[in-house]
Amino acid sequence: MNLILSDRRIELPINNRSTEFIDLSGLQISNCIGCFGCWTKTPGKCVIRDDAVKVYPKIAESCKILYITKVKYGNYDTIMKTMLERSLPIQQAFIRLLNGETHHIQRAVAPKQATVIGYGNISNEEQEIFKQLVARNASNMCFEDYRVIFSHEDTLEQTVINEVTSWKE
Amino acid sequence: MEGIMIINGSPRAPKSNSKKYAELFAKYCTVPSEYFAITNKNHLELCRKMENYTHILFVFPLYVDGLPVTLMNFLKTLEEQSPKTKLQVSVLVNCGFIEPEQNNVAVKILQCFCKKQGYPFGSVLRIGSGEAILNTPLKIFAIWKIKQLATSVAKGKNRNLKTTMPLPKKIFIRASTNYWENYGKRNGITPAQMATMGIEEGSV
Repeated sequence: MNLILSDRRIELPINNRSTEFIDLSGLQISNCIGCFGCWTKTPGKCVIRDDAVKVYPKIAESCKILYITKVKYGNYDTIMKTMLERSLPIQQAFIRLLNGETHHIQRAVAPKQATVIGYGNISNEEQEIFKQLVARNASNMCFEDYRVIFSHEDTLEQTVINEVTSWKE
Repeated sequence: MEGIMIINGSPRAPKSNSKKYAELFAKYCTVPSEYFAITNKNHLELCRKMENYTHILFVFPLYVDGLPVTLMNFLKTLEEQSPKTKLQVSVLVNCGFIEPEQNNVAVKILQCFCKKQGYPFGSVLRIGSGEAILNTPLKIFAIWKIKQLATSVAKGKNRNLKTTMPLPKKIFIRASTNYWENYGKRNGITPAQMATMGIEEGSV
């Protein structure tokens, strides 16, 4: 399946059953509390039973994924970052070597073609940091391949439409 | 007054490793320091208290290769409620992986905040194997670097420090597996259960 995970509402001409759009800003998702329950008490399940538990299985399942996030100081802004932190149940506590570095073992997570659209008034320095961050995420979030695209807020919708249209092709 | 405000950005502050690192820092620092943990409700209070200090030490764990949301939310408030005099900011970040370099991007994010908001940047300590190192005899390596960080911050220097367990990666992975298996065992969970590939299966 294809997944579009956005930190804001976007009108998209999607009439494709294999693509799902999730607007995180409309969901109730609280912070990860770092309890390690999803690793050591209820493996694969978060102990906080809010809307995040409906989202991370879809992240795991998706082969193609588009993240749409505001960028703040070169980091994901807090709506997207909260969801990424709450996706910890899709990894195990156990560590493996991946490309010579230590990383957590993934559970049933499909390898992904990922696109990350960062939007906002983003300086060159923030863009560079954000690209480095996504490169780090690639190892921890099962990205087989990824692209990072930057957009101003006022052209975001068109940027997203262009990206999703290219999927159809 | 010269003093260091130690701010814990871990979402599990009372039980966090960051708290233990902060305590060690305070123990070895020659300048007076005071410890605070970020909560959902104390952002404004912490911003106001900054007027009483000359330095901030942010102590936090690496979350998804960057700053935890707890700290990001606080920085957003600090952007709006900045103290009149900008304090020097130093960082003590830890990750569970053996490579302290996996913390580099998080440090850059905080440096970016400081640059944009006009806070002079001080020293950094990046800790690898940070989940477990204090529970092992290898904690001496962490303590040694924390002492160096404390001296650097007290003197207003700009040092870039790192430390980790001095182990081959394969041995680290074996030790880490034991650590997590014992963690699960205390909760009545077997290694096989912890290693399930299932997501959102079974009962909570």
